[in-house]
This record gives sequence, structure tokens and C-alpha cells, in this order.
Amino acid sequence: MSRCTPVLLLSAAVIFITYTCCEAHAQATPATEPGTSAAPKPLSERVVDYQIDARVDARKKTIDATETLTYRNLTGQPQDTFPFHLYLNAFQPQSTFMREVRRNHPNFDWHGENYASAEIKSFEAAGGDLTSQIHFIAPDDGNADDRTVFQVKLARPVAPGESVQFKITFHDQLGEVFARTGYKRNFIMGAQWFPKVGVWWQGGWNCHQFHAGTEFFADLGTFDVRLTLPQEEIAGASGEEVSSVNHTDGTKTVTFHGEDIHDFAWTAEPEFRVFTDSFTGSAGMVKIRLLTQPGHVNMAERNIRILKETMKRFDRWYGPYPYKQITLVDPPHGGLRASGMEYPTLITGLTFWWMPKGWYLLEEAVSHEFGHQYWYGMVATNEFEDAWLDEGINNYAEMKVMDDIYGKDRSDTDFLGMTNGERSYQHRGYVGAADKDPIARFGYQYMNSASYGDITYNKTAMMLLTLEKIIGEDTLRRALRAYFMRYRFKHPAKEDFLKTLEEVSGQTLRWYFDQAVYGTQVLDYEILQSGSDRVDWVEQNPPEKEKSETLYRTTVLVHRKGDFIFPVDVLVKFDNGEQVREHWDGRDRWVRYSYDKRARLVSAEIDPEHAVWLDKDFYNNSYVAKPVSGARRKLSAYWLVFTQLLAQWLTWLV
Amino acid sequence: MMNQSGILSEGARRVWRHQRVLWWFFAVNLILASFGTVPVSSAVGRVADHSLYSQRLSEGFDLSAFFDLAGNPEVALQSKFPGSLLFALVFFVFALFLAGGILETYRGDRKLTTAEFFQACGGFLWRWVRLLIFLLIVLVPITTVGSGITAWSETLSSDAAQEKLGFWVDVVGLLLVALLLMSVRLWFDMAQVHAVAEDERSMLRATARAFRLTLGNFGSLFWVYLRISLLGWVGLATAILIWTRIPAQRVGLSFLVLESALLWWIGTRLWQRASETVWYERQWLTPVMMTAVSAPEVLPPPAPAASSEGAIS
Repeated sequence: MSRCTPVLLLSAAVIFITYTCCEAHAQATPATEPGTSAAPKPLSERVVDYQIDARVDARKKTIDATETLTYRNLTGQPQDTFPFHLYLNAFQPQSTFMREVRRNHPNFDWHGENYASAEIKSFEAAGGDLTSQIHFIAPDDGNADDRTVFQVKLARPVAPGESVQFKITFHDQLGEVFARTGYKRNFIMGAQWFPKVGVWWQGGWNCHQFHAGTEFFADLGTFDVRLTLPQEEIAGASGEEVSSVNHTDGTKTVTFHGEDIHDFAWTAEPEFRVFTDSFTGSAGMVKIRLLTQPGHVNMAERNIRILKETMKRFDRWYGPYPYKQITLVDPPHGGLRASGMEYPTLITGLTFWWMPKGWYLLEEAVSHEFGHQYWYGMVATNEFEDAWLDEGINNYAEMKVMDDIYGKDRSDTDFLGMTNGERSYQHRGYVGAADKDPIARFGYQYMNSASYGDITYNKTAMMLLTLEKIIGEDTLRRALRAYFMRYRFKHPAKEDFLKTLEEVSGQTLRWYFDQAVYGTQVLDYEILQSGSDRVDWVEQNPPEKEKSETLYRTTVLVHRKGDFIFPVDVLVKFDNGEQVREHWDGRDRWVRYSYDKRARLVSAEIDPEHAVWLDKDFYNNSYVAKPVSGARRKLSAYWLVFTQLLAQWLTWLV
Repeated sequence: MMNQSGILSEGARRVWRHQRVLWWFFAVNLILASFGTVPVSSAVGRVADHSLYSQRLSEGFDLSAFFDLAGNPEVALQSKFPGSLLFALVFFVFALFLAGGILETYRGDRKLTTAEFFQACGGFLWRWVRLLIFLLIVLVPITTVGSGITAWSETLSSDAAQEKLGFWVDVVGLLLVALLLMSVRLWFDMAQVHAVAEDERSMLRATARAFRLTLGNFGSLFWVYLRISLLGWVGLATAILIWTRIPAQRVGLSFLVLESALLWWIGTRLWQRASETVWYERQWLTPVMMTAVSAPEVLPPPAPAASSEGAIS
């Protein structure tokens, strides 16, 4: 912590100096032609080009829009059938999404205000009206009531290398935010709000239904979105704002342009307070725009500071952030279900007005969601099928950022004498579901949402943290950088990542991946038995000897409780200061070490560096010959006081 | 208007003079809680005493180390709660039993013999049980109101345009409930004081009489209770503040601080009871005694204090 203090102070000073004041209203920037301000060579293949003209009724929470989608057929074969996502239809009682929510939470009740829908008014392609051709499909579970994916068949196929233009008019009814998208009072989070074409991936269309436990997958391209909404609304969106024009009817049209992104989200609220700042990384200056709540102005500095600190480390560790802007949105109270979410160049944080400084949830949320600009945004993995590639890698990366700033034992909590490292926090999550599902599993096929979260996020982070022990922290960082640089603006799959790790480390890691990524083996080692005994134990009355002259036989029995085989070190300490370090490959179920020394055992410890974070139980990793009662005494004292207080409160009734 | 500070200081003096009551109360509380802690201590010891990982708890307070331990099947801290609750309930019964003796001690402001003390305890026990039932009945609507306020504040926290509205509704609402609870406690304490002083056997009558007394003198009585309560809370908060600043390894010192806070807490509660007893005496008993001294030739009406003493002798 102390080594971070100068950095923190310096950062605070820089923020103080460079902080620009709260803008009363969104500032219109000079209009530029879409596409002229970006790098001359596209960063991605730009399979899709979306042009959306949307009118937002902020009172009715509806959107009426026209979408023109130009799709480049880079599939290498003629295509006549195209699937589209209509994510908003998930927020209906009989959708697959809601069925899964109910399955995971039997006490969940449907509330009408959460209802949302996306309705296609017309659908034209290649000059023909295909509105009547639209039919909903349910490729994952066959649910005939699910309307989150529809499909159309064109009159004639689109040849490889050719483009096809879809013109779609649609009507959205937003619901009170249930998951990520919707409204809360005046706040609107426009996410997953437009018909989005599926991805041709690994030789087929990939267009999953919207599930309770999954996120998204889409092709990269360009977005030009014109939002017409009331003038008092302060809007933010993916990409950059290129113009804002007021109309005489009290509305305004704000135009946004985004390149080499695969989704477009926007937000609007009249109450937003706007803060701007900037970050200069290896790809140039990035504008930071924070849209926060009036009651959270005191937290603006924390939000911006952690965002910049995260950007700095990602830039240094993994690669450049090539976009010109990042927008951080702070959803209002009651709208927290829109919090902690990532969209290309737009993220939502998590802020409460009362958050104490030593509780880093705000920082974790911002750091995590920014990390998704790399693991999801640019390395555009399939969140339906390989959620761990974005959430898990990102959890690991976020943890490294937080550890680097706050120290690894305090990066989650450092408050009122209580501490918690983020790695410990994530470890606790992993332990809760250690053997339930493998990491490599489709998001909607996990046992339940808890297992999805614990495995996808936490186990992956623990898997990578443990991998540091095998290949080294620096090598892992280099591997992640190589993976990012190689697969940014592409759709890599799990093996792309795993092979990159092997390639950069120069090691065969399949033995590890088979267990940690593809398997459900549990890693748990314990010191089962240990102690020192006089070698001349059979003597009833052994002769008096000096302490250092008595010969003891010390045995240490190490047991592999779980099925996960992992090589470990065992450090044995003796009371004459001597230490012995053993290395065990862990293949057998147990190993016994025996030593004849003129010293007794002090302690035996598996994984003395505490680097095997996949180990389920850290308490059984060591044995101390002489009991250390500090923890017992402390917890007993607290429990005693707690019981006394409980009794005292009860006697209030007397 | 009675001298309020006089009541407080006299109440404090009686608590001090009869501090044996306080120490016994504290000691029994501590001993019973210790019984409830033994299973926790041994379970924690089994896992933590021989583990280096437990240093994260002894040399600090690592939350994950704590939750790992609490969730360890050999410890299962949650499952130890019923045991502690049982001992808390035993203490509750003990306190119920002791209340008669304590009030009798404060009323007479004299050192009772052990026999006198326990006679008073036993003599009033079933009356207190009946009184407790009345109290629980009165608490039902108050806790309902409290739950309503909490539910309302939760809704406001989510739906109101003002972000902090729900929080403040919660704070103000629960503060009002706390004051209401203090008033109810004042009322039932008065019923107990009255029952001891008058040897009242009907708890319904005692409750009704105490209600009229409390209502008629609410301001002064409430002010006495409020000040003592505030001192109790301030003492507790100060102790917690000190506790957070004690180095994590100093378990003994932090335990002493917390025990001191508990002792103070118990003391302030006894102070409230003693003060109310003083108030009752001055309000109702003193004029009778003065009449008796100034006009010995006139037979005074049967003194309630005397009759109650007779009841436990």
C-alpha cells in the first residue's frame, strides 16, 4: 500500500489540475463526415455497416427506427438465409430468458413493467419486401414462444464478396430495466435495441437465442446512428458524437459514429451531470466522458481516476486502445440492473452515494468494464459459447490492475481494519462452484446462473493466476498481449487463446488445460499428518541430552484430496532454523517425507508462495506443530461479545 | 417541576452504591455467553490452530480468510448460532428473574440480604411474565410500523426521484420507532416500579396505572431516559471507535474495550431503572413520609413501600 501512495497522490494532483468542470449540457462537437476521422486503414474487416435513424419517445419509452444494414458476405460461400437477434423480446414472460430466470430463481415473480418488445414493422432486402417471410426460430431450446431470433430467406443468394442491404423499420417498447437495457424513471439505457444480424462463424450461422446467463456476439463494422429525442435529454453513446441539431418541435437529433465496433448502445437522461477528461496512451489521446447522477458528483473523481489508471495499465500491458473516446455511464438508483455492463466504447459503472473510500466496488466495476473494451470489444469473442474468454480473462486483468493500484491483499476492501484482496474475493466465488461446470461450456448450459458466474468469471481468473506459477507472471502477460494483438478485431475461439499461451510460454500446457479448462477436477492438497518423534522413542528412560543432540524423526504426509493433479512445493521448517523444500508432482494420491534431524518440526506448508489459487482450501495447506491460537482467540472473543450483545438486546424486553 | 439532574444523579448514585447488581449482571452475561462460545472456539481451533493461513486473521482481519473459515464444514459458523441464541435466552430468563430484586434494591436504597434479594426476585417473577406478554402485544403494532417504514424506504430508494429520500425516510422512521420503543419501555418500567412499590399483583392495573403516570409526566420522564440512552449509545460508539484503532494482534485489549462498552451499556440500562425508581419515590412516596414526620399524631395511610417490603419479607 505504501509503495502506491506517491502514485495515488500524483494521480490525484493530475486529476485535480486537469479536471474540467461539470458541463451543464452536452456539448455539440463540430460535425465531421463519418469515416473521415478514423485511421485510414480499417482496423477490422467491417462485415456490417449499420445506419439507424431512431426517434425516441422519452415519455412512452419507445423507439421508432429505420435501420439500413449493409452486410458484406465474407463467408466464402453464397448466403440466402440470414438470422437476426431481437434481444428485447427476451423480456416477456414465456421467453427462454425468463424461463431460465425462473428456473434459477424459483421465487422470481414477473412484473409487468419489465415487459419489453421489439417489433419488425417492415423488412426489405435486395429491393424486395420480406416482411411476411420473417419467422422466429429457437435454435437452442426449441421454445416456440421465444422471439429473440428471427430468420429471413432472400429471393436469391448473396454471392461471396458481394454485399446485401437490409432495410428494416422497427418499433421498440422498452421495459423498466431488468437486465442491462431499459429505463428507470428518466434514465434510458438503449442497449440491444435494434435488429442485429448473426455471425457467420466456424462454418455456420451463429445466432443464439437470448439466455438469462449469456451475453452477446456480433460482427464488427461501422455504425452511424441518429437519435432524435427531447432537447433536455443528455445523451451518450458508443462511438463519438459528431453532431447535435435542435429542431423547432423541442427535439434534437444527435448523431453518433462508431468504427470497428460490434454493437451500439446509447443512454439518455435529463439529469445527467457530465464530466470530461482525457487519457493519452500509445494510440494517442482518448476523450473520457462521464455521465453521472446528480447525487454522485462527489464520486466523479473516483470514477475517472480508476478509469484512467486502468487505461494506463491496459495500454502498457496488453496494447493500445485505438478509439477516440470512452464513455462511462453511471445509472441511477433503482436502475442498477443497467450497471456494470460493457458496450463498445461505452461502459456502465456502479456507484452509490454512500460508498466509503476503502470499499472498491466502484473501482472494480469501472476497471472491469473498461477491460471489456479489450476482451469482448476488440477481441470479439463469442459470449454465448466462450464467455470465459471475455469475462474470465477480464476478471484476471481487472484483478491485476486493482492489485497494482491498491496492493494484492487490499484491492477489494480496506475498511475499518478489514481487508480483502480481489484475488481472495474471486477465489471465494470459485470455491462455491468448483466442481459444478467446466470453464469451457456454453453460457446457457451451466448448471445455473451462480455456477455460470463463479466458473466463467472466478474460476477462469484463478486458472490464469495459477498459470502464473507454471509459466511466470511476465510470460502470461506477454501471452495475453500477443493474444490481444493477434486477435483484436477478430472472433477467436478457446483454442486460439490456449494455443497462444502455449506458443508464447514455449510449454506444453495441455495437461493443465484439460483439467482446469475442460475438466471439473477439484484441486485440493492438504498436510494430512506431520510431526517429530524421538528416534530413540523405544527407550523408556532416554539419557539426558542437550536439545541439539536429540535425534528426531520428522514425517510430513502430503495428501492430494481432489482429482486435479498439479505439481506443488512443500516447505518444511525445523526449530534449528533449517528449511527443506520438496517438489512433488502430485501424481500419486499422497507422498510422505521423512527426515532424521537433531531438530523438531516447526511447520510444513504446501505451496509456500501461495501461488496455486485453484486450490480449494488454503487452511489445510499447512501444519504448524506449535498451535497458533491468534485466530481462534480473536474469533472467540468477537463471538463472545456478539452473544453478550444478543443477550443484552433480548433483555430489553424485561 | 422536579429537579431532573437530581433524579439522574441520584439514579447514578444508587447504581454505583449497589454496583454488586451491575457486576453480577455483567458476570452472568459473560459466563453464559462463554458457554455459547465454547463450540465456536473449539471448531475454529480445529481448523485454524495448526494452519499458517490463520495468520491472516490473527495479524489482521482478512475477510476472505474469515469467510473461508466460517464456511469450512468443520467450522460451519452459522450452525453455531442457535447455541449462542439459547444461552442468550437463558440470560433473558435470568434477567427476568432478577428484575424484581434489582428494583427492590433500588427502591429501598439499602443493601438487601441475599435472602431478601432473591425473595423479591421470586416474588415478582410471574408478574413480570404477565407484564412481558402485555409488552409483546404492544410491540406488535410498533414492529409492524417499523417493517412498513423499512419496506417504504426500500421502495423509495429504488423509485423516488430523490436518491437519498429512501435513506432519510429509513433513518427518520427508524429513529421515531426507536423513540416510540423507548417510550414503551419507559411505560413498562414504570409498571414494574409501581408494582414493586405498591406490591401490585394485577399487572393489568399496574400497566394502566403506569400508562397514566407516564403520560401525565411524559416530558420529564422521557428526558431522563433519553439522556441516559444517548450516553449509552455514545459510550458504545466511542468504544467501537477505539476498538477499530487497536492493532489487530491485540486481541486481549480489544476484548477489554468491548467488554467495557458492554458494562457501560448494562450500567446505563440499570441507571434508567434506578432513575425511574427515584422519580417514583419523589413523586409519590416522599409527601407521605413528610406528613408522617410532621404530624405524628395522625395515622398515615398504609405506606405502599411498607406493604411491598412486607410482601417480600
